[in-house]
Amino acid sequence: MGRRFKRSHVLQGLLLLLALAVPAVAGPYWIHVGALAWYYAVLAASWALLAGYAGQFSFAHVAFAALGGYGSALLTLRLGLPLALAIPLTVLIAMVLGALMGALVLRLSGPYLALFTLAIAEIFRLMLIAEEDVTRGSLGLQVPGLFSGGGDVPYYYLGLALVVLALMAMNGLLATRIGFFLRAIREDEGAAQASGVNTTLHKIIVFVATSAIASIAGIYYGHFVGILSPNMVIIPEMGLVIAMAVIGGIESLPGAVVGAVVVYALSEILRDYGEWRFVLLGLALILVQRFAQNGLFLFIERYLDRRTAPVSATPITEEGEYAKPS
Amino acid sequence: MPSPPEAPYFAASALNKHFGGIAAVADFSADLQRGEIVGLIGPNGSGKTTTINLVTGALKPDGGAIMLDGRNIAGQPAYRFARAGVGRTFQVPRLFRRMTVIENLMVPALTAARTSHRQAEDRAREILAFVRFEHLAHAYARTLSGGQQKLLELGRALMLRPSLLLLDEPFAGVHPRLLEQIVEHIRTLNAGGYTIVLVDHNLDAVRSVVRRTLVMARGRKIADGPSEVVLQDPEVIRAYTGTRKAMEGRA
Repeated sequence: MGRRFKRSHVLQGLLLLLALAVPAVAGPYWIHVGALAWYYAVLAASWALLAGYAGQFSFAHVAFAALGGYGSALLTLRLGLPLALAIPLTVLIAMVLGALMGALVLRLSGPYLALFTLAIAEIFRLMLIAEEDVTRGSLGLQVPGLFSGGGDVPYYYLGLALVVLALMAMNGLLATRIGFFLRAIREDEGAAQASGVNTTLHKIIVFVATSAIASIAGIYYGHFVGILSPNMVIIPEMGLVIAMAVIGGIESLPGAVVGAVVVYALSEILRDYGEWRFVLLGLALILVQRFAQNGLFLFIERYLDRRTAPVSATPITEEGEYAKPS
Repeated sequence: MPSPPEAPYFAASALNKHFGGIAAVADFSADLQRGEIVGLIGPNGSGKTTTINLVTGALKPDGGAIMLDGRNIAGQPAYRFARAGVGRTFQVPRLFRRMTVIENLMVPALTAARTSHRQAEDRAREILAFVRFEHLAHAYARTLSGGQQKLLELGRALMLRPSLLLLDEPFAGVHPRLLEQIVEHIRTLNAGGYTIVLVDHNLDAVRSVVRRTLVMARGRKIADGPSEVVLQDPEVIRAYTGTRKAMEGRA
């Protein structure tokens, strides 16, 4: 276990160095793409925690991002609050609503949970369109930027910092007993209860935590892009986040980040192909599901393991071989 | 003057549970003394598992009381039953399949806020030794055989340090050699002071470990007493699997 753990950290460290170096070598276009990719990375990683670790397949995750973007923008624009107050207040609202949603879906699982959260997201999107006086509806809400000058580079680094902080926060959470309990709930809720786990509390905790992170991603997105529209909450956006998490590795938070960056970069590289690029991404999703079910990140890690470590160094595999008693 | 009889350690009284119009459990009452081991038998659909689900909090009773050490815990969520010391296994093992054996064991221990990871792991190792699974500590639970899964589930329930242990069909579908091992474990636990309720179809195995047997049929308790007396009861014979021969053959 320890060996893989360390190898994973080395790999993550290398990827971080690479990400830090991008603005030095890439042009403004790719810096912009990168800064946007960080938005998706934060969303995909937090969704991986919600769905992959805790088994709560919520489709309302992008709605919490929109809640963040709109919340921070409206509190500053309409109520004149300073940004330093608007941001924490928005995150707090997202946490309260996250707790509320967690409580609402307590008894739902699988497809019912998905449909319920999908309906919540749609209602929220329609509210954003309908409340034109407040949100400017489909016209889009202009949001002031965070930095004067410097182009997209400061946003790129802010986004990267958010990714790193979100990963650290979520890994911190998972390293506690809460991580144990979330996995147990995902595997079998009834057995978790019979083992003394307060499943209600922990499901609400994971909704609160991931809703807060999604709202932060949305706040970042709004101030970076400068315009918010209800299209943030359309189903294909949620589908994109899910595809990113699944391709990268739904049960691995850094995996979901890698998935987000790969998928978003690919969709840019393949832009000339129009709608066909999504067909290609769909194909990629199917191939990953077929050949690397735990996502690309774990697949690459395993590959590196196989290349560098003797077989005996990995006594356990997911496939269930285990070391014989010596 | 003789001292009053000791209050039962665990008591279910007048438990009822309906599913739609069907009474799955009707007016079920039973007392257990501390350290007692009893069998709960009955034909399929007689309400045994529903009863287990009621007295472990997995289902809320429509009416009745569940007293544990003098406290009524009926209606509380299942995790509170577990923390109050009610441990259980399931008919079909319900493990945390994509967690390792030792992780499965650590979950219940970690629900006690004061237990550290280290303490949880130490306790898990004790239980691993008890069920002789030391070599499987880091195997994923889903890779275990059916019988091994039952043993791991027993171990997981023991991690709660349960004062009452309910085993739902621990012998079903278990390899004969492993069955002996499970019977041995149950005897050891009972000798160590655990209060145990054993639900199973394997009458021989049940009878080999319990003295007292409760029989259910159509949601009701129809007999309760020393196993040899209960198993000769004409009503029990009539109810149980409907075949007199089968009972006599086993008795």
